[in-house]
Amino acid sequence: MKAKTILYLEDSALDVALTLEVLKNNNILNSIVVASDGVEGLEYLKCEGKYSNRTSENPGMILLDLKMPRMDGLEFLEQIKKDKKFKLIPVIMLTSSREEQDLIKSYSLGVNSYVVKPVDFKSFEEIVKQIGLFWAIINEIPAERE
Amino acid sequence: MKNKDTVELLKLLTKQNEEKEKRAAELIIANKELTFQNEEKNKRAAELVLANKELVFQAGEKADRAAELLIANRELTHQNEEKDKRAAELVIAKNLLDSANKEIEAFSYSVSHDLKAPVRHITGFASLLEKKYAVLLPEEGIQYLKNVISSAEHMGELIDGLLLFSRAGRIEMNQTSLNMKEIVDALIQPIIEIDKEHRIKFDIANLPSAYGDIEMLKSVWSNLIENAVKFSKNKITAEIQIGFQETMTEITYYIQDNGAGFDMEYSAKLFNVFQRLHSVSEFEGTGIGLATIKRIITKHGGRTKAEGKVGLGATFYFTLLKRKEDISK
Repeated sequence: MKAKTILYLEDSALDVALTLEVLKNNNILNSIVVASDGVEGLEYLKCEGKYSNRTSENPGMILLDLKMPRMDGLEFLEQIKKDKKFKLIPVIMLTSSREEQDLIKSYSLGVNSYVVKPVDFKSFEEIVKQIGLFWAIINEIPAERE
Repeated sequence: MKNKDTVELLKLLTKQNEEKEKRAAELIIANKELTFQNEEKNKRAAELVLANKELVFQAGEKADRAAELLIANRELTHQNEEKDKRAAELVIAKNLLDSANKEIEAFSYSVSHDLKAPVRHITGFASLLEKKYAVLLPEEGIQYLKNVISSAEHMGELIDGLLLFSRAGRIEMNQTSLNMKEIVDALIQPIIEIDKEHRIKFDIANLPSAYGDIEMLKSVWSNLIENAVKFSKNKITAEIQIGFQETMTEITYYIQDNGAGFDMEYSAKLFNVFQRLHSVSEFEGTGIGLATIKRIITKHGGRTKAEGKVGLGATFYFTLLKRKEDISK
């Protein structure tokens, strides 16, 4: 079985570089699509805009940053969790914020996991590795039915 | 016949006389009655005069009262206006406070989101550099990298500490009765588990319950216990005693260690933000913990105190007020 794509929404190129580096170093070889905000993330899911030519398969999981331009993580989460085509995709919030309000809003909107990016790189590495292992490899999701 | 007539006449006269006397008597009686009635009338009249005087007096009193009431009424109206003014001022002050709080909230939210990202990038790339290209660097270069990483990590801790400190001032308190002994025991458990050589000796009294916010007081205890362990790390045996003192109205909890202690001359500074009495290289930390503790305890209406002697240890006290219903028990 082919490893499912990971959709990664993150506006900071440096965060993207760090996360991709860690995933690669830990043999999580799923293909990763990076979208720089919620609007682009939705375009990917709906095969619109620059993604209009891709095959319509859903990603196996979505890594989601909170603060992004145009459409932030919470808005994006709300959009996809009320769309029956996308609501079963596991969404993992990966953010700097430990603010109570962000946690409550995310879980209220149906996030599957909420992870705070630690400042210390060793912990960051460990956490990204765990997320990759668990959500991209161990975790089972229902097959897509069209 | 003449005689007979005379007799008749006499009889008639006599009868007439009797009638007259009767009338006279009746007149006397009627006169008496009239006199009496007159006297009564005069009496009534006198009473009426008195009553009238009384009424006039009462009317005067009423006018006086009315005037007084008018003044009192004006005073009340004024007071009401003042109250309304004060209420309006309070509403304005409250709005100002709310918007200030919102600003702080937004500020710390953005600190939490935005300020930490670059710090994370510094530690991240410096760590990657060290990990992948350390072979290309001389010993000195590797040390520089390590310094960059540890400074950036320390900055991350400072940001987190400041966020906690700021949150302690803003957060709504949810006060309940708290089993302090249970809280302390739960916090100490993991320390005991790690301490395989039994280097740390805890002596914990049967702490009485307190009334407060569980999350806040947990973080107070956690900070104090962490400090006690940290500052006694150089002792062969660390002795940490947790106890209490009780008065009618207050409970003072304390934690005493036999660690590095501090110079009492600086005890007042101890609870200030970023105030440290030891270097970071000696004892790691941010200098925000005790400031946060003071903020939390002050918010609970209590107070904090520290005592210490260099090289001999320190004792930290925090005092909480008892609830009225707990005092009467």
